[in-house]
Amino acid sequence: MGSHEALSVEPFKRLVKLAARAFYDDITTKGDKQPKTGRSDNRGIAVVVLDALTRRQWVREEDLAKDLKLHSKQLRRTLRFFEEEKLVTRDHRKETAKGAKIYSAAIAATGDGQPGGREGDEKLKMHTHSYCCLDYAQIYDVVRYRLHRMKKMLKDELESKNTVQEYICPNCSKRYTALDALRLISPHDEYFHCESCDGILVAEADKLAAQELGDGDDSARKRRQEKLKDMLQNMEEQLKPLIDQLGRVKDLTVPEFGSLQAWELQNAAGRAANGDHGNDPSKSSQGLGFGGTPMPYVGETKVEVALSGIDGKGENIKSENGNAPSKVLPPWMIRQGMELSDEQRGETKQEAKMAGSSIALESSDDKNTTDEKDDVKNIQDEYVKAYYAALLERQREQEAHDDSQQQMSNASTSNGVAMPTERQVGMKSKLADEYEGDDVEWDEEPPAGNTAKNFKVHDLNVEAEASDEEEDDIDWEEG
Amino acid sequence: MFFHIVLERNMQLHPRHFGRDLRDKLVTKLMKDVEGTCSGRHGFIVAITGIENVGKGLIRDGTGFVTFPVKYQCVVFRPFKGEILEAVVTMVNKMGFFAEAGPVQIFVSNHLIPDDMEFQTGDMPNYTTSDGSVKIQKESEVRLKIIGTRVDATEIFCIGTIKDDFLGVISDPGATS
Repeated sequence: MGSHEALSVEPFKRLVKLAARAFYDDITTKGDKQPKTGRSDNRGIAVVVLDALTRRQWVREEDLAKDLKLHSKQLRRTLRFFEEEKLVTRDHRKETAKGAKIYSAAIAATGDGQPGGREGDEKLKMHTHSYCCLDYAQIYDVVRYRLHRMKKMLKDELESKNTVQEYICPNCSKRYTALDALRLISPHDEYFHCESCDGILVAEADKLAAQELGDGDDSARKRRQEKLKDMLQNMEEQLKPLIDQLGRVKDLTVPEFGSLQAWELQNAAGRAANGDHGNDPSKSSQGLGFGGTPMPYVGETKVEVALSGIDGKGENIKSENGNAPSKVLPPWMIRQGMELSDEQRGETKQEAKMAGSSIALESSDDKNTTDEKDDVKNIQDEYVKAYYAALLERQREQEAHDDSQQQMSNASTSNGVAMPTERQVGMKSKLADEYEGDDVEWDEEPPAGNTAKNFKVHDLNVEAEASDEEEDDIDWEEG
Repeated sequence: MFFHIVLERNMQLHPRHFGRDLRDKLVTKLMKDVEGTCSGRHGFIVAITGIENVGKGLIRDGTGFVTFPVKYQCVVFRPFKGEILEAVVTMVNKMGFFAEAGPVQIFVSNHLIPDDMEFQTGDMPNYTTSDGSVKIQKESEVRLKIIGTRVDATEIFCIGTIKDDFLGVISDPGATS
């Protein structure tokens, strides 16, 4: 979060506070059925909640309830109201205690929550947690729209002639305007009929006039006019601070927290960059734990690496591979594939750990990758350097390889099936560090059993040139 | 408001019309096709006043029809918000009345009829002042102000008011005679 952004946050916070006091002061979230005793009167809660939210970014609703000493049900009702009012964005997700940890980490990074609040509970049960956050950009629009509507309504009432009459169907409460009149007339009687349920529409009475003296007589109308004028004036007067604040905020950049996941990642990443990451034992152990899990996967890919090595025997194919250095591994691949060569892994280790911890817990990798691109960038730069070094080495290897190739294949004929696979792995790691990822991608198809077959064929035609065609043959047989 | 503008249209002409009077046929067909239609953009096309030019025809594959791009001058009528119009009342009901100004339909809701006029039912429903001097019923002519338009692709509908100075009935027999 940049410093200039922090500057722009304050006016927005003030805007929210003003709007809360102006519009949500007397909102009660209780149902109408309940008697309004002194105790259950919870007007003003809305303001308190909004104020509390200005001091936070994303916050778990339980935590907020605890902080505000509110019942979580009551808070949720208030928040749902605000969600409908479009002031607040909410996010619900199922998560384990681990998932909560990311959130706590992010909270710790922002420095305005209670860090490590729930380190203790390690239950693996899935709970649905709700998070909420103020949506400043939307609040700005909502407030402006509200003011505009208020003014327009009063002005229309005041002039009382340029209003487009509205009609409501009492049955299905569908609304029509006078502009729809042509479609609504019925040939049988003199009323308008609802298009969907054929009920008789009633004209929506003058919104404010109905509240007071609805009589059409002249003095009443005069009084009404006076009243409207007063109201408009009062409104302008009382809402002036709010309007001023809107004007102040107009040109500022809106503080944007993004979605919950994006926010968590951003803050967690910021924390890692600050060096916090290594110090937190729980965090790092988590990361290692994840690093450990994909070991079977690595083993599995080794088999496929062997296959790719075989493919590499066909000189044509290999050169094709060699010609594709432009196919730089995208960052997400580096991270996912733990079967990278040593130098690569050495460089991406930290990254992998960090990203891994988040990936393990969240299903939507795609989202993460986009968000993490920034942290990946510098790592990627280093990676590219390593890549070119490896490429250079490989080219040197290649020359040596050409003659060693023959010897090796000869050896394979004598040794049988099991041996070559081993050798291939070794050779592969030397030869083609950098395009392993690619190999894995397009060599996933052939099953391990193919190895033996492939070799057999290969044994028959030792010439390297012919191997290209062999590949085709095999594909045919399989397909 | 009326406008005199130039519009363009691609006319398809059947091969049987090809001959000496091709151009006449084309213009006749254009008039038949276009006059009286309404486009949301230009309003109602009232009349074609002249042909600017007829472009080169293009023979359609398979059908033999020929497409001519025709530029023509025409008078269009488009109602605007705030415009004052004179219109003939076509229907009166409890909710207000409908009137027509040429091709345009206008609805005046009872809220936009002066407060001193009351609805009277009967076989000739009407709005009448308390002293009975002014009466709005079917076939009456009224002067009204448009306060809202709804413009669809092929239709324009307006709502109007007679609740303003100098608006209201103008066909009062006593006044015109």
